Amino acid sequence: MKLEIGNFYVKEIVFGEKLSFQNGVLSIQKDEALKFIKEDDRITEAELYIAKPGDKIRMCPVKEAIEPRIRPDGRAVFPGYTGDLAPAGEGVVHALKNCSVLVVGRHWGGFQDGVIDMSGEGQKYTYFGQLNNIVLVADTNEDFEKHEQQKKNDALRRAGHKLAEYIAQCVKELKPEETEVYELGGMIKRDPAIEKLPSVVYVMQPQSQMEAMGYNDLMYGWDTNHMVPTVMHPNEILDGALVSGSFMPVSSKWATYDFQNCPSIKALYREHGKTINFLGVIMSNLNVALEQKERSALYVAQIASSLGADGAVVAEEGYGNPDADFVGCIVALENAGVKTIGVTNECTGRDGKSQPLVTMDSKCDAIVSTGNVSEMIELPPMETVLGELEALARDGLSGGWANDELLGPSVREDGSIIMENNSMFCGDQIIGWSPKTMKEF
Amino acid sequence: MKKAVLYINQFFGQIGGEEKADYAPEIREGKVGPGAAYSGAGLDAEITHTIICGDNYMGSNTEKAVSEILSMLADKQFDIFIAGPAFQAGRYGVACGTICKAVAEKYKVPVITSMNVENPGVEMFKQDMYILKGGNISSKMREDVAAVTKLANKILNGEEIGCADEEGYFGRGIRRQVWRKDGKPAYERMVDMLVKKLNGEPFETELPIPEPDRVPIAPALKDLSKARIAMMTTGGIVPVDNPDRIQSASATRWGRYDISDMDKLEGGVFKTIHAGFDPAAANADPNRIMPIDAMKTLLKEGVYGSLHPYFYSTVGTGTTQAEAKRMADEIIPYLQEDNVDAVIMIST
Repeated sequence: MKLEIGNFYVKEIVFGEKLSFQNGVLSIQKDEALKFIKEDDRITEAELYIAKPGDKIRMCPVKEAIEPRIRPDGRAVFPGYTGDLAPAGEGVVHALKNCSVLVVGRHWGGFQDGVIDMSGEGQKYTYFGQLNNIVLVADTNEDFEKHEQQKKNDALRRAGHKLAEYIAQCVKELKPEETEVYELGGMIKRDPAIEKLPSVVYVMQPQSQMEAMGYNDLMYGWDTNHMVPTVMHPNEILDGALVSGSFMPVSSKWATYDFQNCPSIKALYREHGKTINFLGVIMSNLNVALEQKERSALYVAQIASSLGADGAVVAEEGYGNPDADFVGCIVALENAGVKTIGVTNECTGRDGKSQPLVTMDSKCDAIVSTGNVSEMIELPPMETVLGELEALARDGLSGGWANDELLGPSVREDGSIIMENNSMFCGDQIIGWSPKTMKEF
Repeated sequence: MKKAVLYINQFFGQIGGEEKADYAPEIREGKVGPGAAYSGAGLDAEITHTIICGDNYMGSNTEKAVSEILSMLADKQFDIFIAGPAFQAGRYGVACGTICKAVAEKYKVPVITSMNVENPGVEMFKQDMYILKGGNISSKMREDVAAVTKLANKILNGEEIGCADEEGYFGRGIRRQVWRKDGKPAYERMVDMLVKKLNGEPFETELPIPEPDRVPIAPALKDLSKARIAMMTTGGIVPVDNPDRIQSASATRWGRYDISDMDKLEGGVFKTIHAGFDPAAANADPNRIMPIDAMKTLLKEGVYGSLHPYFYSTVGTGTTQAEAKRMADEIIPYLQEDNVDAVIMIST
């Protein structure tokens, strides 16, 4: 399978006469774009903003991030989600780089939503603080979940994906500045020199814990709660086969942008033929019931063994309950003789003394740790707020609170905030970017 | 200049060796013994007072010694309290830890000490304070004092304290996120670790998971009707005056209490001192936790052979594995001596 990602580097975003991309400047015709968004009659209110690094902007409640992309051959960027089913991972896709579409609730947030700061001390807490962002701030008529802590955010998230595809139309016919090529043939009958290298699978555990539909990550539009682990080509992940969901405290989440750019897959690609033989991806999931967790671990270990994998990397999109899936999967792989590395964040509590994962096993002897859900963060007021900051305290965001005996409310009258890292949008970057680690003090 | 108080034992206080280990605490103006080394190492505080206390005095009259020392400090102004270095000297290390913990609690000032990894004081107190990783013998004095001074100066100057590995203290069981100075992203660390593990090279996990210290399950008793049984609990059941002064949390002490002449434990005679649960039910009827009543009944019915005449008690909440193991090692000889076949361990 061969994927060519044609890159267009966005240096600046402006609102202009028409949708265009020229010399690094992405120009968006705002009224037309908003009209497009409002084609979904669930959207009751929408506005677009530009947020670039250094801007005095705080966003909350942030729901999703998507890299704007388009396929010259007309296939949907997210097959089975923004358009008809078609294979992903093959052919040509054009991407606007250093750029993301962010979706922010105009008013209402939930457990799974987060915060992004574009400048100051808070900027470093998310990957998106360093990108040029097109920010869709919108509200919907989905009144059934307005006051629910768990929200599907369906209209808003779909609007974001459609908008990302809509914006990237402007580079559909253009010649990319640079093309990244990802090509990996069948797992067997590879070059003998490559086959001599230790073979490795990347095991992904995307968020799929909600039994009710509409919250989980989607795979070609299919709810990942409805699957057992399966084999995927890494290109499919990089090319829109996966769409992020709306469940799990957000610092542990993977945005759609994260799937599209998965740095761990790219790193394994770079090592392929040098130090490892990268076989591909085992797409697992995360579950609630113990039997489901065990079933998935059993499948992953079986697939890895059947493929003849010498090594594996397991990464979980979650913390807390999903740690059991994560640890269980690593143990099953190690028991099957597969040398396994884990990538996860930790949750050590306000005093830093809690057990870092809800379950531990000494077979997990090689862990890359990407951050701490419980880290307390205090940030000064920000000039501009996109969305409604009060949501952090009011709507049950996982890292915020309405009031605390010692700390007071998460959102103070002057616009300063105190929160746990838990609500930093995709902040622990378990997907692979995290420059953070954990240390004992 | 900021002010420091130093704590040292009778040996480093130049009172004497083992024969002076019962020396009661005294406070002297200025610096004694290692005090000069701290000034020489550039401590950003003046050592205004030195407390000298015999190791045995502290060990066997702990409460008295601590209260005497705390009152000596009541009218003193100080910005930091330094104890040791204690090297591998066990009693001295425990004394340094004990007094540092008490001073920090009472006077809310930073405390700091230094011990060798083999010193039992490390396991007992590393969660409560900065204990620098020190040498095993006093010839390491200069290095150990320099290490303490470096960290003490950071504390005195309000500088950020780095992680345990960076600063050289024993980890306090507190895990926090940090931004790596080299900014090396997780995906690079993942690949490095993966390739090393695949190639059988040494690698360092970022989340160390301790090897579980599992005890194999003992074989079943062959004949319960002849077995001698002992009773034990971490539920803190003690005579109401708590004669062994067992702590209500993070216990380091245990007691054993004669039950040969009683049919059950009476409320008002026994109680729990465990701080981890509502004690009302246990205080009203201590047999709820230590079921001597049931054991005596079963004995009369001949269900088991005989009952060891004492029950053993400590408090489990916050108690470290190392302390628990030490206490078990101290208890076991009593059981062996009395030919106990089995123990019923009651948790709460």
